[in-house]
Amino acid sequence: MTDPRAREALVEAAAGAWRPRRPGGGVGSHPAWHDLDPAGREEAYRAATLSRRLEAALDPEGLSSTARAVLARIRGP
Amino acid sequence: MPDLDRHLPAIAAGDDQVFARWLAGAEPELRMALRSFAATADTEAVLQEALLRVWQVAPRFTPDGRPNALLRFAVRTARNLALDEVRRHGHRASLDAGDRECDALAARDLPEGPDPLLRRLILRCREQLARKPRLALDARLSAGGEPDALLAERVGMRLNTFLQNVGRARKALAECLRRGGVAVEEVRP
Repeated sequence: MTDPRAREALVEAAAGAWRPRRPGGGVGSHPAWHDLDPAGREEAYRAATLSRRLEAALDPEGLSSTARAVLARIRGP
Repeated sequence: MPDLDRHLPAIAAGDDQVFARWLAGAEPELRMALRSFAATADTEAVLQEALLRVWQVAPRFTPDGRPNALLRFAVRTARNLALDEVRRHGHRASLDAGDRECDALAARDLPEGPDPLLRRLILRCREQLARKPRLALDARLSAGGEPDALLAERVGMRLNTFLQNVGRARKALAECLRRGGVAVEEVRP
């Protein structure tokens, strides 16, 4: 991974809360995560950790985008 | 001391609003418990899968009498799922100190719900964001697990521009909080 912009986009995508559904209904890993090297994956983890803290602090119910993604799956369409 | 197990009866009865309150307190601890897997498993996917399993198992879950039993179960579930992922990708891994970390949760004070002063400061920082980073941040906040391509389209940005603005928003918020005297590592809901 040499292009810094492409790498940044992969890190930000992997740091988001969206995850694909596996065929059996489970939560699949993000395609961008697989395209990152170990250092990029660590960076995505740190970005996700900080993002979720900020999101939860901004949310009146203290919920992050991860919590909202999980609740959306539980509640269904 | 706040014990997240006070929510267990309602969660077991299927109350997703109460599960949301449990999530607000449990998620940071769960994410931290997965930090050693960051380079070898997609911890976000593992975390969400573990939380869904907690919800499914809750009606049959029997607490052990020590605080935060459901959270400790969630941590063990998440770490085992991460281990499965690591092995599936052909890496070697062990749980090492996981049990000790998990036991420590029985004695931890877990805040739940936003700290009003911190929330006020973060909201002020959010107001200071440039328009595009703020749009991207707000789109992620209200997403509920929708894909970034859809969120980018909703706010009229190309996907890469949207992702850049998400990163800019996070960095600007963190910097604003530092200027306000808050160490971002200490930011909790």
